[in-house]
Amino acid sequence: MFRRLLPIFIAFGMFGTACGSSNQLQIDGSAAEINPDACVAGTNREVTIYSGRTENLIEPVLEAFACATGISVQVRWGSSTQLALLIDEEGDRSPADIFLSRSPGPVGFLESKGLLGTINSDILNLVSNENRSTEGRWVGFSGRKRVLVYNIDLVSEAELPTSVFDLTEKKWRSKVAIPATNGSFVDWFTVFRDQYGTDIATKWLDDMVDNEARYYPNNRSIVEATGRGEIEMGLVNHYYNYQEVAVAGDDHRAKNHNLGDNDIGSLLIITAATVLDSSKNPDEANELLAYLLTAPVQSYFTNRTIPARGGHSTKCRVAITHRS
Amino acid sequence: MTQKRAPRELRAVGLVCSLAFAFPGLYLIWRNFTSGADPFGLLFASETLQPFWRTVRLAILVSISAASLGTSLAWLTTRTDLPLRRLWRVVLPIPLVFPTFIGAAAFIRTLNPGGLANDLLTSVGVDRTPELRGLFGAWLVLTLFCYPYVYLPVAARLRQLPGSLEQSARILGDTVAQTFRRIVLRQISSSLTAGTLLVFLYTISDFGAVQLMRYDTLTRAIESNYLARPPMAFALSLILLVFAGAVVAAERSVSRRLPEVKVHRAQQTASYALGHWRTPAMLLVGGTFAFSIVAPSVALIDWAADGLLRNQRGGRPLTIDSSKVFEAATNTLSSSILTGFVALIAVVPIAFLAGRYRDRIGHFSHSVVIATFAVPGILIALSLRFWTLRSGFFGDLLYDTLALLIFAYVVRFAALAMGTALVAVKTVPEHLHDAAATLGADRWRRFRTVDLPLMRPGLLAASGLVVLSTMKELPISLIIAPIGFPTLTTRIFGSFEDAFVAEAGIMALVLVCASGFLSWVLVLRRADHL
Repeated sequence: MFRRLLPIFIAFGMFGTACGSSNQLQIDGSAAEINPDACVAGTNREVTIYSGRTENLIEPVLEAFACATGISVQVRWGSSTQLALLIDEEGDRSPADIFLSRSPGPVGFLESKGLLGTINSDILNLVSNENRSTEGRWVGFSGRKRVLVYNIDLVSEAELPTSVFDLTEKKWRSKVAIPATNGSFVDWFTVFRDQYGTDIATKWLDDMVDNEARYYPNNRSIVEATGRGEIEMGLVNHYYNYQEVAVAGDDHRAKNHNLGDNDIGSLLIITAATVLDSSKNPDEANELLAYLLTAPVQSYFTNRTIPARGGHSTKCRVAITHRS
Repeated sequence: MTQKRAPRELRAVGLVCSLAFAFPGLYLIWRNFTSGADPFGLLFASETLQPFWRTVRLAILVSISAASLGTSLAWLTTRTDLPLRRLWRVVLPIPLVFPTFIGAAAFIRTLNPGGLANDLLTSVGVDRTPELRGLFGAWLVLTLFCYPYVYLPVAARLRQLPGSLEQSARILGDTVAQTFRRIVLRQISSSLTAGTLLVFLYTISDFGAVQLMRYDTLTRAIESNYLARPPMAFALSLILLVFAGAVVAAERSVSRRLPEVKVHRAQQTASYALGHWRTPAMLLVGGTFAFSIVAPSVALIDWAADGLLRNQRGGRPLTIDSSKVFEAATNTLSSSILTGFVALIAVVPIAFLAGRYRDRIGHFSHSVVIATFAVPGILIALSLRFWTLRSGFFGDLLYDTLALLIFAYVVRFAALAMGTALVAVKTVPEHLHDAAATLGADRWRRFRTVDLPLMRPGLLAASGLVVLSTMKELPISLIIAPIGFPTLTTRIFGSFEDAFVAEAGIMALVLVCASGFLSWVLVLRRADHL
């Protein structure tokens, strides 16, 4: 029986390897929109990325970059936390040149371990002060805004609050979902504590708990539950609702609500790019970071998330913070 | 029975295998020492004890229900005149392949308030469905996704048992229930405890389902501490592993007292007419199918269909195309089938040592292999990276290769094949072996002509369990796979994380179909008959 199955193993094995290599000097779709020009000839320069941001979003950008520069790009896609742990484990022998993080937490972790290198200052200067580290360890290249998602059948637009502080009122008892252990919520709370002080921030959280705020594991499940009407509203990142609407259209019964522009509830959480201290290709890495901040790439991100090079209305400070 | 000493080469192989499987455990101990963790201090802290007891409670409940459900399904599909038996045998193993992070999410999507089932119920006048969460939700989802760990080995065992004892019992006046309790249950007990142990260990190491059901177990405490307080995460993981080791040891001391049943092939097994029990039996099997396979699939189909329709109508295009799905699917199939094959090569020597020779190295290796099943995948991945970085030339050679990925998968999942392989070894009648030896067959020839033909269907079922589980594996696939080797699960995860639900739905359906195909091949090969 094994003998009869053996050709199948081998056939699958060959498929696997045959699909592994591809010539990337031709691009189409979103990648071609970012870089409409003909591709330059390939060089033997290369750069390796560990990306916690999803392939669905980033891959067209990297294809466009490879096409425009001739630098070949290798990517390990994964979860930001796990990739940060991997980089920590690999130390100065990590093959990665660049780490792209979904949320600030893993970047803070790597910075505290001294694993991040310094980004060229001309790249840092492309973004405003709040979107880069003062030591030049990271630079924001896109962002995710915190919003209040609500079910349009259960809550009317007129009665919606304008601040997260309103959510502790009796009116919203057991109607608000929070993703308490989720990475971006924790990051948001850290900035909240930073700006208002630990006492006010902690009191707000206690009040939310007293007000029977319901706990959900992540943003996606809140948006999904709000759409179904399982819960009235929840604190989430802005783009999850776009995705649900993109899929279900009018059947999805939830909308994003922007809390006040100056409210902490409208914080912009940036996704950061870093160059590792151990990088063997720092020039190529910096070149790629610069490319992420070019106009075509930033406008591509605008349609899907929020770009970091200005053009957004939130005034809140964005900070990458160390977690103790 | 004469006690034979194990051949020296076999003991050496067993020792090497157990060392390979001990990598993650050794890594954890090392990390506890170097990161200044304090597992003993944590042991009695309330922040450890509370999630720990929740973990234990959940694991016990899931073990009981998955064991009963798996055994009932196995008995019904192998021993009765249940309609559509063949179809059920193909579909019942499928829940194994749902990665819990999307399986549980799809389940919630279908069954929770306002979900797809609610729409259906509203149209027939029922208004509100209960909300699945907490202990109840985690218990239900894990039971529905874990019963195949019991179902597959027990069904394989039932198929193989001779019917003579049961017939005698019936002739002497026992009812079907009495026969089951006094004869069948004792005969399947070793398969049943081995399968239930896997359910228990899987439950204590699961993160996806408890996370989505908002039930705070030890794995959630570990997960939330990886970056914030790494020593705490390492200490908690060690506590989890030591606990798993204790459970494995307890199971061994129980299973040692269980009766062994030797069998020949080609004996007529007993079969019962269900009579007026046919309807309740169909409800149980059909209900399991509906909840564990149809319910999550409906949500996946909903996501996928919306995405495909949107693509047709010219909305935002999908971010995947058929070549990407095909690439991921072939990678998933090739790596998981290879893993199933290699896992067998790793566990068979250990099964021989432990089962036939009752060798101490064999028992030790057996426990190490099985306890490793409770180590979270991410720690296995990190530990392998740790060891390859510290083994010089050899590590460089292995880094970023398919071989290392397969090795990691085997370390993660060989436990699934271990129990069934052990039962398979024990069922080979001693006297056949002695007869072959008398006729002058050497050890290798006896293995090929006596052991292998008798064990082959059982081993194939064991590797089927490994293959289906490998197909859904996530952390190892993300961290250890060669760069540029996407699998279905990694692409599903990436899409799902950033709410590209249509893409995730499409690829998850491909995963379910691929596993259905593999399960069909196994049934076709009569692997579930042992």
